[in-house]
Amino acid sequence: MGPTLERLPGHGPRLEDYFLTRRQWLCRAGMGFGALGLASILGEDFFSGTLQAAPVSPLAPKPTHFPAKAKQVVHIFAQGAPSHVDTWDPKPALARYDGKSIPGMNGVAMASPFQFQKKGRSGIEVSEVFPKLGDMVDELAIIRSMHTDIPAHDVATVFMNTGSLRISKPSLGSWVVYGLGTENQNMPGFISLRPGGNPTGGSQNWQSSFLPGVYQGVSVNTTNTKVEQLIQNIRNPYFPLREQRRQLDLVHQLNEMHSQTLQKEAQLEARLEAFEMAFKMQTEATDAFDLAKEPSETRELYGNSKQAQQLIIARRLIERGVRFVQVWAGGWDHHNDLEDQLPRRAGEIDQPLAAFIKDLKQRRLLDTTLVVWGGEFGRKPVKDQNGNDNPGRDHNNRAFSTVLAGGGARHGITYGETDEFGGAAVRNKVHVHDLHATILALLGFDHEKLTYRYNGRDFRLTNVAGTVVKGVMA
Amino acid sequence: MSWVTRGVGMALGTWTALAAGHVEAASLTKAQTDFFEANVRPVLARHCYKCHSRDSEKVKGNLLLDTRQGVLRGGETGPAIVPGNPETSLLIKAVRYTDPDLQMPPKGEKLDPAQIASLESWVRMGAPDPREDTASTSAGQGKTDREHWAFQPVKATRPPEVQMREWVANPIDAFILQRLEEKGMKPSPPTDKRTLIRRATFDLAGLPPTPEEVQAFLKDDSTNAYAKVVDRLLKSPRYGERWGRYWLDVARYSDTKGEVRRRLEDVRYPFAWTYRDYVIQSLNNDTPYNQFIIEQIAADKLPSAKTDPTRLAAMGFLTLGNHFNNNRNDIINDRIDVVTKGFLGLTVTCARCHDHMFDPIPTQDYYSLHGIFASSEEPEFEPLLTQPKGNNAEYQDYFAQRSKLAAEQQAMETQYRQLKGTSPAVRKVRRELQNKQTQTLSQIAKLDLNHPGSPPRAMAMQDRAKPADSRVFVRGEADNKGDVAPRRFLEVLSGPRRSEFHNGSGRLELAHAIADPRNPMTARVIVNRVWQHHFGQGFVSTPDDLGTQSEPPSHAGLIDYLAAELVAKGWSLKQLHRQIMLSNTYRQSSAANPRYSQIDPNNRLLWRAHVRRLDFEALRDSILAIGGRLDLTMYGQPAELEREPYSTRRSVYGYIDRNKIPEVMNHFDFANPDMPTGKRYETIVPQQALFLMNSPLVVEQAKSLVHRPQFDALTEDDSRVEWLYERVVQRPPRPEELALGLTFVADFAEPDQDAVGTEVATDSKEKRKEGRRKPGSGRRKPLTAWEEYAHALFQTSEVSFVH
Repeated sequence: MGPTLERLPGHGPRLEDYFLTRRQWLCRAGMGFGALGLASILGEDFFSGTLQAAPVSPLAPKPTHFPAKAKQVVHIFAQGAPSHVDTWDPKPALARYDGKSIPGMNGVAMASPFQFQKKGRSGIEVSEVFPKLGDMVDELAIIRSMHTDIPAHDVATVFMNTGSLRISKPSLGSWVVYGLGTENQNMPGFISLRPGGNPTGGSQNWQSSFLPGVYQGVSVNTTNTKVEQLIQNIRNPYFPLREQRRQLDLVHQLNEMHSQTLQKEAQLEARLEAFEMAFKMQTEATDAFDLAKEPSETRELYGNSKQAQQLIIARRLIERGVRFVQVWAGGWDHHNDLEDQLPRRAGEIDQPLAAFIKDLKQRRLLDTTLVVWGGEFGRKPVKDQNGNDNPGRDHNNRAFSTVLAGGGARHGITYGETDEFGGAAVRNKVHVHDLHATILALLGFDHEKLTYRYNGRDFRLTNVAGTVVKGVMA
Repeated sequence: MSWVTRGVGMALGTWTALAAGHVEAASLTKAQTDFFEANVRPVLARHCYKCHSRDSEKVKGNLLLDTRQGVLRGGETGPAIVPGNPETSLLIKAVRYTDPDLQMPPKGEKLDPAQIASLESWVRMGAPDPREDTASTSAGQGKTDREHWAFQPVKATRPPEVQMREWVANPIDAFILQRLEEKGMKPSPPTDKRTLIRRATFDLAGLPPTPEEVQAFLKDDSTNAYAKVVDRLLKSPRYGERWGRYWLDVARYSDTKGEVRRRLEDVRYPFAWTYRDYVIQSLNNDTPYNQFIIEQIAADKLPSAKTDPTRLAAMGFLTLGNHFNNNRNDIINDRIDVVTKGFLGLTVTCARCHDHMFDPIPTQDYYSLHGIFASSEEPEFEPLLTQPKGNNAEYQDYFAQRSKLAAEQQAMETQYRQLKGTSPAVRKVRRELQNKQTQTLSQIAKLDLNHPGSPPRAMAMQDRAKPADSRVFVRGEADNKGDVAPRRFLEVLSGPRRSEFHNGSGRLELAHAIADPRNPMTARVIVNRVWQHHFGQGFVSTPDDLGTQSEPPSHAGLIDYLAAELVAKGWSLKQLHRQIMLSNTYRQSSAANPRYSQIDPNNRLLWRAHVRRLDFEALRDSILAIGGRLDLTMYGQPAELEREPYSTRRSVYGYIDRNKIPEVMNHFDFANPDMPTGKRYETIVPQQALFLMNSPLVVEQAKSLVHRPQFDALTEDDSRVEWLYERVVQRPPRPEELALGLTFVADFAEPDQDAVGTEVATDSKEKRKEGRRKPGSGRRKPLTAWEEYAHALFQTSEVSFVH
């Protein structure tokens, strides 16, 4: 049943409303919903009189503001807040103060239980917990002066992924795909891999929020190894693709009529895109996620762990032109028993990530793929005061380390400094907004100009802040 | 581990990167704040903060421009501005570049004339500035926080006067219309009868109406035809299943414990389902909401529990959260969280380590509640809801098996405790024992959970023998004790002279304080939740946080009117539903209006009905219902939803493991059972499409639909299409839809057996295989034309949306 003909006086659309609707409708029908966003990147003029233009998918590759160094991003999220003073940011002063109070800080210092060693040609000191990553140090840019606003996991995790402390802002990956489109039209532009259930903050971390739904991250649980379980319902057991295409065309035709009666609700358009993507994924994603197709040498290189599995998938996705891959590699919340627990966690990612960087380099993908590893904040130089015998460290939003590789980042450098004890970033400080601005800059975007108009305001990833950290860019 | 959840309270929008609530800033008008945010802050942030903010590497001239205090205090050369007087303000002088010795920003990066003009206007306005020096923020103790609307008593508002009086069916409409008329807008016309009964049935039952129900409504010309539909739906047991699930989201319901020490306890809650059943039953019985509150917090303290032990199941609300590896303070924190967010719409757990940053909730209040829950405990054995009959064979079997396992477990535990030393031999024995114990506990829990003779038990609480106040944990640290926090209610809701709780733990007194009609939050919070599920969004868009960081309500008068009505009508939720659904506001069409979309893009003023995606439960249940396979058995031990052979019971009866939510439910934004969730996200992702396109659960329902005898009896293709439309989308097809359907069926080519694969099963083979086949694997018998057509209809947007 369409809307009733009964109308209340004054409620009916005016002449100009029809005009506007029709124009908008033509615009959308031809180019998909994301065309509106594209217009705001290229400037409104670009689209004036383009009703005859060839259809453009909202995921089609788009030009950048300036020449890009990186084309793709892999963000490995070390959720839980890894201790920087035990991994990437050596603090010999902690050993001298071990068990003694540190000036201006509550509690007593805790020396790192781990040795740091100079590695590579650059001679950067890396903790023994990362033996293989340490060997790769000449490929890395280690930012030692990260800081963020709130030392609570859920808030800070979502903040790192969306630049927003409040709910509902688009995630970094959604912004990137909105800005750049994606290279492979048969795969989602943004895929989020997680080794199990939803992480803290859940879908907020890969949401598109007010950006069109096609930029939403597609979340995949990687605990399974079979492709049918990785992407549930990826295959239709009843009829071949050709027949499914015919069926889906009918569904689209029916949906188009339904959508007309509701005048193109954004949700309904997003649903249409989701069905098309789902259809295409049936061929492309089955291949991308099929690890059985990897030669045995790959497993030797990456190891045989959950994170190895995730990073092999990530590499297969990058090879297939997926724009942004988020990889959840959490479990770093070491309030106690840091000496035993932290190396275990580090060991999970050390070999796979080192292998991943090597592998990308061999395939000549590293130069155009920005790899980011880091958590949502860091940890305190003092012992956690939860009163147990196996100490750990408490939350610290004033200092942490984030590591970049490839994609136009500098090689074999450290950037910024924390204070003598690692309590706070003090030199060349890099805020989360600055990191976001820098990632966008490496991708060829001015973070102040990558905006989306919503509710009468231009929004951007970096809110009203963010400075590009040129010191980490090659 | 205790930090893991400390921040949970802040997750839902209580933080802001911009201005925080505080004393003087709160006196600014919205226009002043808006001007500052739009024109001043961006200029300062972009051009000045680099050298003049707390985050500057080196603050130049000792001048801070990132707080109001900093601007007024000024730097080495004096105050940066003189409010009201741009001509004597140094900041203005500097940005004008008129004085060669005072030019900012430096190095010729002069601001645009427009930016300079903005700064001048701002100073002329008196420099309204919402920014606060965080160091001087007195952590939520400000007077203005207390003036927040939600902390004020509910006002018994009279419906406002409006122009279009003929549209007002009940007072709700007057409130809605008033806001629309303010903006020069009119409500949408009423929707048609088919859309209305579909909307109402999904809203109350979570299912589509049957063709018979639709026909009956269409034929009924009486003036109260629609009211009869609403009343029928409110009486239906489906109502409690639909709305019970919403409450289970708030109650962070799960059948498992999350983090546990596996030698000592199994991960399952074998009796969580008795709480789920309590919720469904209470809603179906229209249990007064105040009683619903009190039972969930303190049923054990009520006289009624003595005569009716089934009430004890209510306390699952408190007890079935995550076990956090038995970290007692985290468990207590989770209980404070569910009680305060769930009933009060307050993020009290933000005050665990420090006073609440935005709401007037001091840490001491948090520890007042901490003392109440620290003085409560789960009884060693969950109380029986009904006495099992000793001569029942199933019970005897259960009892025999369980006694044997319990004895084994006991023996192993004794042995474990006697082990001494750390020699490799001892360690090996210890490890083996641990594994065996874990297995035995798991067998016991499975027996309790699944055995038909396992008698239902309540996930109850009781008071500890010696209730005691807690002391404040300074910075949230358990071994850093501060002042005693007497057990009592929140100061902001009950005044500084509130009395202390002395009845045991104080849970019953807490429950009464929450359910007190004078409590300003309780009725507003539930009214907001109910409204949200009828309209897609609440008066306040953050249902679990009505504190100072929430947006002001879209209709302040109406939320108060409904809250007062709720109390006056004996806290009856069904009366509230009825009143909402009989309003003209609810009955509006969802048709778009581009002009109104410009004025109010999010439809906050309710000028039309929202278009809403069905949640997972409603979608799955309706597909089963349309296929004619929905099993309406109510209550009892949970059903396995994920694996074939699929249970066809309603989704609310599914087994929920908080550590392993079925992926398909994640893809449809199922609520995270680790925190109270008043509002689910609503994403649209390809995996949702894959579920509808390929899941055997869906395809089998389409097959079932066209194998019903009624369908077979129809010989004309036209009538077959019509019959399917009435069932799948509850309306007849439009001519063009009919034509498309006929063409689709006519063009169907018999499947090429080779193209489908060699494993094509015959019917009987298929049936034998069904039980052990994993989803998505293997080929199945190809669909017929009509099966495939019905399946196509299941995938249309109309099935997944209500409008």
